[in-house]
Amino acid sequence: MPDSSLTMRDAFISELMQFAKDNKDILFISNDFGAPSLDRFRKELSEQYINAGISEQNMLSAATGLAMSGKRVFIYSIASFITTRSYEQMKLDICIHKVPVTFIAVGACYAYPQDGPTHHATEDIAIMRALSGMQVYSPSDAFSAQKLVTVSLGSEGPTYLRLDKGLWPHLERTDYSDANGLSVLKEGSDVGIIATGIMCHRAMEVAEVLGKKGQSCRVIDLWKLKPLQTSALTSAISGLSMLVSLEEHCLNGGLGSLIAEFILDNDIPIRLKRIGIPDEKLYTYGIRQTLHSEIGLDVESLVQTISSFMETV
Amino acid sequence: MLVTIEELTAHSLRLRRELVEICASKGGHLSTSLSCTDILVSLYYSGILKHNPSEPEYPDRDRFILSKGHAETMLYTVLCDRGYFPRSWIDNHYRSGDCRLGGHPDKRIPGVEVSTGSLGHGLGLGAGMMLAAKLDGLDQTCFVLLGDAECTEGSVWETAQFAARHHLSNLIAIVDRNHIGASDKTEHFTGLFDLEAKWKAFQWNTISCNGHDCGQLVAALMQAREKGNCWPTAIIAETTKGKGLSFVENDPMWHVRQLNNPDDIEQARRELQEANHA
Repeated sequence: MPDSSLTMRDAFISELMQFAKDNKDILFISNDFGAPSLDRFRKELSEQYINAGISEQNMLSAATGLAMSGKRVFIYSIASFITTRSYEQMKLDICIHKVPVTFIAVGACYAYPQDGPTHHATEDIAIMRALSGMQVYSPSDAFSAQKLVTVSLGSEGPTYLRLDKGLWPHLERTDYSDANGLSVLKEGSDVGIIATGIMCHRAMEVAEVLGKKGQSCRVIDLWKLKPLQTSALTSAISGLSMLVSLEEHCLNGGLGSLIAEFILDNDIPIRLKRIGIPDEKLYTYGIRQTLHSEIGLDVESLVQTISSFMETV
Repeated sequence: MLVTIEELTAHSLRLRRELVEICASKGGHLSTSLSCTDILVSLYYSGILKHNPSEPEYPDRDRFILSKGHAETMLYTVLCDRGYFPRSWIDNHYRSGDCRLGGHPDKRIPGVEVSTGSLGHGLGLGAGMMLAAKLDGLDQTCFVLLGDAECTEGSVWETAQFAARHHLSNLIAIVDRNHIGASDKTEHFTGLFDLEAKWKAFQWNTISCNGHDCGQLVAALMQAREKGNCWPTAIIAETTKGKGLSFVENDPMWHVRQLNNPDDIEQARRELQEANHA
């Protein structure tokens, strides 16, 4: 049974440590951030741990140089900082040189809610998936985050992991394979909700409410955002005429955008409603629950929005 | 060292003449290339840089990174002359054809370690490579050539700090100190500060030398290679942007100006020919 007493981050780092013990080429670089699991790593594998300090640009350039020399580098930082502060290094160093560097990016969107827009990764999916060769993952619980250790170790290119903070319940799933990149969390036929990250938990809550109203709702956890596993996605949404994308991310370029691109590019006859953060509500502070209510990402608002959408189809 | 300083100086003059012909026929970054010609010659022709054109990626080679990637014209001139690729690549593919040789260095070109062009990346890339070499116990040295205007980038100083922290004595920064950026003299946007003192403040060893005197350059490079202590070394090479062509020297506008005026081309050829006889 997966350990749901761990955060996504600690589940990932604890798992990584098992591999690092036997592979001295695995290096862990922190952007001056700590973690309980990292304390163990630092203590037991001190020669494989580097605190690069608050210097994102150098950290990425140096990681590229290390990776070009055969090292498997894992960079741990806050998602907002590592994506936007050093975006040019992401493109020109990491991606142009196609190095297998993995980013353990903690703080998906409003994970640090009261800390404000400096700490909110509200556009990371959009900008990271725009980078050639960058794989983008957005797990929804500790179990799925932990599974990404072997995925990233097996990768020949860069990998971005969008991790949330705190503890999240384990989501039961029958399938977890990188070849599919998604898990159908709940079957249903009237409408589908495709979500990513912690919004999968919200989607399950919404599906339950809709179910009580007599609506059969399918819930899909799309945890591999790039490259999109189109065959698995086509199969996951088959039979649906209505689909809702649900993300805690700006609407420009995020999950909803990539689903819209997917159905357009593949001529899939399905109506899509994108739900996320509108442009004008991006830069804010607050309790996460309050922010969700203001944006319309709370259960009640979502049930209403989705019900209205279903009535228009 | 198997060559004399006189021979290195002769290589510099020969390569400057090559550069002028390439810039006249294909375009390129003339003035910044002339600024660093003697630095590249002192690395690639003196035996100081461990490299092998017939096996560009042999593991034990030293690394050279042209962080000021806009001096690609001289880098290609040198790499071609050393046999990394045939002259036909410059004639048919430099800024033309399939752009195999583009306007900035690309890792896919034999002899080019990393892609550069945007400033402030090369030193960090080199620091990562040399940290890996140190962790693996390999005897390698990385030479990174930066522009002095490039040292305005904050990332350079992030790396300066990182390299000192990790005692990367195998990392050598060479600053092409020509006092000119892309559009103006550096003192007009960075102010008048002591660049050498700045590197010292980051605990780097520093050596100042005349960047057009191959004798001084070779001495500086050899001293830096000796790794007398645990710190990385910065060589401040005092240079003249456009060195060798009187009408180009110290004129910021020549950073982007092309050598396509017949009178300019003629004068450039004449000046370098006269230098040959001097």
